Amino acid sequence: MATVAAPPRPKAYDQTFFAPVSIWLTTTDHKLIGIMYMFTGIASFIVAGIFALIMRVQLSQPNLNIINAELYNQLVSAHGTTMIFFFVTIFLTGIANYMVPIMVGARDMAFPRLNLLGFWLIPMSIFIYYAGFFTGGALNAGWTGYPPLTELKYNPGTGVDLWVFSLAIWGVSGIMASTNFLTTIVALRAPGMKLTRLPLFVWAQISTSILLLIVGSPLVAVLVLLEFDRQFGTHFFTTDGRPVLFQHLFWFFGHPEVYIMILPGFGMISEIIPVFSKKPIFGYSTMVAALFGIVFLSMAVWAHHMFTVGMNIYVETFFMVMTMLIAVPTGIKFFNWIATAWSGSVEFTLPMKFAFGFLATFLIGGITGVYLSSVPVDTQLHQSYYVVAHLHYVLFGGAVFTIFAGLYYWFPKITGRLLNTTLGEWNFWTLFVGFNGTFLVMHTLGLEGMPRRIVTYNGGYGEEGWGTVNVIITISSFLLAFSVLLFLINVIWSHRNGELAGDDPWEGNSLEWATTSPPPPYNFDQVAPVRSFMPMRDIRAGRMAAAVVADPSPT
Amino acid sequence: MTHPTKSAVLRGPRGKHGLPRLRLLAAATVLVAAAAVAFALPALADQGGSGISPFLPQADSPNGRNLWNLYNWISIPAIVIFVGVEAALLVIIVRFRRSVRPPGFVPPQWHGHPVIEVVWTVIPLIVIGIIGVLSFVELQNDFTKRTDAQTQMDITITGFQFGWRYDYQPDGVQVVSNGNQATPMVVPVDTLIRIRTQSQDVIHSWWVPYLMGKTDAVPGYDNYTWIQPQKVGLYRGECAELCGAGHSTMQILVKVVSQDDYRAWVQQQKTQPSPSPSVKVSKTASGAFTASPSPSPSK
Repeated sequence: MATVAAPPRPKAYDQTFFAPVSIWLTTTDHKLIGIMYMFTGIASFIVAGIFALIMRVQLSQPNLNIINAELYNQLVSAHGTTMIFFFVTIFLTGIANYMVPIMVGARDMAFPRLNLLGFWLIPMSIFIYYAGFFTGGALNAGWTGYPPLTELKYNPGTGVDLWVFSLAIWGVSGIMASTNFLTTIVALRAPGMKLTRLPLFVWAQISTSILLLIVGSPLVAVLVLLEFDRQFGTHFFTTDGRPVLFQHLFWFFGHPEVYIMILPGFGMISEIIPVFSKKPIFGYSTMVAALFGIVFLSMAVWAHHMFTVGMNIYVETFFMVMTMLIAVPTGIKFFNWIATAWSGSVEFTLPMKFAFGFLATFLIGGITGVYLSSVPVDTQLHQSYYVVAHLHYVLFGGAVFTIFAGLYYWFPKITGRLLNTTLGEWNFWTLFVGFNGTFLVMHTLGLEGMPRRIVTYNGGYGEEGWGTVNVIITISSFLLAFSVLLFLINVIWSHRNGELAGDDPWEGNSLEWATTSPPPPYNFDQVAPVRSFMPMRDIRAGRMAAAVVADPSPT
Repeated sequence: MTHPTKSAVLRGPRGKHGLPRLRLLAAATVLVAAAAVAFALPALADQGGSGISPFLPQADSPNGRNLWNLYNWISIPAIVIFVGVEAALLVIIVRFRRSVRPPGFVPPQWHGHPVIEVVWTVIPLIVIGIIGVLSFVELQNDFTKRTDAQTQMDITITGFQFGWRYDYQPDGVQVVSNGNQATPMVVPVDTLIRIRTQSQDVIHSWWVPYLMGKTDAVPGYDNYTWIQPQKVGLYRGECAELCGAGHSTMQILVKVVSQDDYRAWVQQQKTQPSPSPSVKVSKTASGAFTASPSPSPSK
């Protein structure tokens, strides 16, 4: 890392960062909105993490009765809903909100006020969901909320209604954000930034936005139909109707949602690995093609969540084959990342450590996905702890590790200061060990027949070993929580006391490193014309050439 | 030819670049992993109940056993890919890290390689093609034909909040299993039994891992599966689809008995029918479902 003299801190930014609340409430600056998205995401992460810890304590031994089944079901549902809708998606929207306009060389998003409205719908959505806990019980049917269990007859409380309204608002917000991202990327690119020169993170954001734009509306539609069943006496999904139709519609949103949560992470990894390997990304165009392969395939695989509901085997075969095909573009991305680092000069800074943590763990999630895609095998694995392990390897090993990688990578850009390395190392290793300790043995629990979403197990015949394994999981989950605590301490400490980063601490490739850290409200004084997909590298080379010309002293 | 001194060998090529603290952590990770493996090894011999077996249940019904087979076949490419990729990551960590590179080293600036990229597109296609064909064959063998074939016995399983009702045909016997104190579904050994699953309220899923995969019980239509138990014994299972506050109490027991014992059991059921179904299990808002151990093992 080059030593850089402390840059003059942009005044306007400092003033807003510690400004009165009114500025935060009314700003249309994509950076401040991005920060608010990220804060909302992290707060949701903490809340949902605490729910998980409570559930882990309840499950640590057979026959515990720390929380009752009704509360357990509410926590299961709230953990899933909060992590998926209010943490990962929201956090990634935030980091994209901050970075995408800067990476394409724009001054702001295309629709700053829409951006503002879209953000403020999210706290409203969260508030409505959590109101359920104070009005007789929140959603208690899992984050998927399958009817007839969510129908009025079996669920007379308001929790389900609040969940429906909450997610409908969330869906509208997501559609707003997606429109905004696509317009920004299409219309506001810097001179010379052709589509073939977009950073891969921006490409990932394009594919994510397209996905959310397409599947956000079906989500809202299916929730509205469910609400009609509940309040207006229709029979779309009741016992007299077609309960499985809900699953089809829900998973048409639900599966692409997995990719909405993972594609931006893929984008970040595609930014981080080349920078710290000192090599360009291997196969830029295949990386982009793979992204769109995933977008296309992810909308044709939804029924693999439903292999036990009793479909025609040829329909099941279609969804099985489509699901397996997703392994191909994902595999291409994996191999290209490895080829990018291969024979490079790889510096294992913290972002790179998290990127490699992602590669090492997401691989397991990908491989277990192939087992699950096989219809016959899935009849054993479906709705068991194997699925819980798989989805956490995908979403924690995938999304959370990439979020940490992205945060360690871009924190200096956002705050002007580096995150503390010692705390960061502890964060990484406790996270890596805690994560694997928590979720690796969940595979075997599921293989032995432990269903997910059960409040307790009797530990009796055929379950003798479950208590031991569950204790290991619970202890590891607390190590995981400790790791997140270290991270929070690091953020709080470093944003004031961290080492000054300078504008370009990592010798990055994309335009965000061309401006100051933190960037001024208008992002750039001027953007040099973009001549390749690594514009910052060109700018740095230009500066070095200019320095050589300006320095007449002999070498 | 110069011989490196012993200390130089011990220090390795990097010398001062070593990071003892990280190595310690890495070593700790390896130790934890080794401990986990050591923990797992005895479990491999003792199938069932260890909580740490890496295989599918080795089921005692031919269709369940076929799933076990298929899982093992998928595991071969899965393990190869897993080991290969993780090894590649380790090679990068060990050989290509900046601290082992000479100062000022500029790596080759590859932008891609069409042939290599085609290769690692086609190889996964072939692998998943094989897995797909194997899965489809299994799907045709065990998920359609046997279900429709002439069976020796039919059992209709009806899920309700929170328990199961078993209706036997042609024997005309009914067994109701309510909540945690699972009443066993008694079946004769070596008999092809067709199972029809239904629900009378919300969606449930009937799952006995050591016999066969799960089948959902959905209100509005029937699903079918079959078992042909090959061993006398007791098999546990439980509902696999979240169905309300009593979900975890929807325990399942299947008791496989000899043909003679089964006949005797049917006679006894006909003279002394089990109590009529008490379906009304209230959804307690605050009531805890205290789980007590299932009936003791007899296997």
